[in-house]
Amino acid sequence: MLAVFKREFFSYFKSPVGYIALALFAFISGYMYVNMFAYAQANIPSEIITMISFFVIFVPIITMGLLSEDKKRGTEILFYTSPVSLFEVVMGKFLAALSLFGIMYVNIIIHMIITKSSSGTVGIGVVGASIVFFFVAALYIAIGLFASSLSDSQIVSAILSFVILLFFQMLSTLSTFISNGITSALSAGSMGADKLSAIGEKVAYAVKWLDPIAKTQQFRYGVFSVFPLVYCVSVALVFLYLTYRVLEKKRWSQK
Amino acid sequence: MIEIKNLVKVYGDKKAVKGISFTVEDGEVLGFLGPNGAGKSTTMNIITGYLSSTSGTVKVNGYDILEKPEEAKKCIGYLPELPPLYLDMTVLEYLNFVCDLKKVPKADRKVQLAKILSMVKITDVAERLIGNLSKGYKQRVGIAQALVGDPDILILDEPTVGLDPNQILEIRKLVKGLSKHHTVIISSHILSEIQAMCDRVVIINKGKVAAIDTITDLSKKLSGKSKLLLSFKGPLNDVMHSLRTVPGVLDVKSRTSDENGIHEIEIMTDSSLGSDLRSNIFYTMAKGGWPILEFRSIDATLEEVFLNITSH
Repeated sequence: MLAVFKREFFSYFKSPVGYIALALFAFISGYMYVNMFAYAQANIPSEIITMISFFVIFVPIITMGLLSEDKKRGTEILFYTSPVSLFEVVMGKFLAALSLFGIMYVNIIIHMIITKSSSGTVGIGVVGASIVFFFVAALYIAIGLFASSLSDSQIVSAILSFVILLFFQMLSTLSTFISNGITSALSAGSMGADKLSAIGEKVAYAVKWLDPIAKTQQFRYGVFSVFPLVYCVSVALVFLYLTYRVLEKKRWSQK
Repeated sequence: MIEIKNLVKVYGDKKAVKGISFTVEDGEVLGFLGPNGAGKSTTMNIITGYLSSTSGTVKVNGYDILEKPEEAKKCIGYLPELPPLYLDMTVLEYLNFVCDLKKVPKADRKVQLAKILSMVKITDVAERLIGNLSKGYKQRVGIAQALVGDPDILILDEPTVGLDPNQILEIRKLVKGLSKHHTVIISSHILSEIQAMCDRVVIINKGKVAAIDTITDLSKKLSGKSKLLLSFKGPLNDVMHSLRTVPGVLDVKSRTSDENGIHEIEIMTDSSLGSDLRSNIFYTMAKGGWPILEFRSIDATLEEVFLNITSH
């Protein structure tokens, strides 16, 4: 696992990918911070949460080549024929991408230091927002890694993970649409308006329940709960496991 | 030692490998010969654990590749058809990465890598990016990769394909050197290459074993009939007639003729008589006053080898 991690992590800095992602992150977060700072309203938690909404762009960039490049260049054969388990390979790649987010996070630490040194406040909310930052990153990277295992083209992988992530990102918005749709579809029947809106609400709640960001909304105010984190970790593990199965499938495929 | 029993691999409705069985003894160099698409790479991929077989077993030093994959894979170094190289790494970085993957102890690493580098002669490019190396060097790095972890068995899938003649000779020399300390399986679709490197040969065709033979026996079988190509200036019919009278000549066939009166003919000879007919043919031609423009033996093609071997 460590071998794959090392190779993948350092390869980010051998191609423009790592630098582009880091520069983009530094630019966007820096721009936001400067704007807040200028009005003496540096709010680090809200900066972090806003940066999370950009993950939908960062994660596909970072994960697109993780497995698809190995497939394309034929280097995947190394993993299949070495005495390592493919799950270790998947975990190594996953941790490499997550570590890159760790480096991105350094930007935010710098912003904190600046805030502190100009006698601003960095409250407990920062801890909460940071936790969300890494857990959502882990979840999204697992999805991106999965997308990367499905294709041998980086572009296809990137688009695929972008679409899935956008879907996750928009779950809360979608929930309203879906519940409205269901309500109007059922209104043709003989159900009462009360009952209809109740059904709509339940459906909206169910769809919204899947949204990792809505789930962790309270964290930035310093209100923690373990449950949303368990949710992120378990969905991430599901995708990591799926990725592992996709790799294993290649070995057993009869097509 | 590798024992392969009744190996079958099915892709969709196509059987790529249809029940291959053979054994590779310790210390031997086995050639794996067959035309493109015969199932060579598939078989090698199964032996190395890259693919699973549909049925049949592979045992490497007693370990089943599917039941004890880690132990079995530790015994094998594999150079696939396309060397699995990371072009953005230097040779040394890459080999260190492979050491990590193959779990070579940190303490042995430096000595082992130095040995491998000098064995495959890539010490002078150790610090260069793999992406900037020539094809021959890349192939060597691929072989170096297979040698990491000092496996007993080396499996090389078409190690000389796409290289220039000089590089081919160097790779052959390298393999010869490696065969002193390793069991080696080499695949190829070129007969002469296998003859140059191997002790024993498994010939497969259309997913089946067509023959398993030692190189000397194979050569004997092949040498029964041989073919010569003769190009000359002169009357075609007279030449063919007088060549047919040379003892040992089985048949003479015309291949091509051009307007300047230059003809090319194929001469089938029975070389089992032990004598070389080429000088007799030369004197016959000289007596007739027909100048020889080209005269050489034609190597048996793989198809002819199959025909020859299977008809015996």
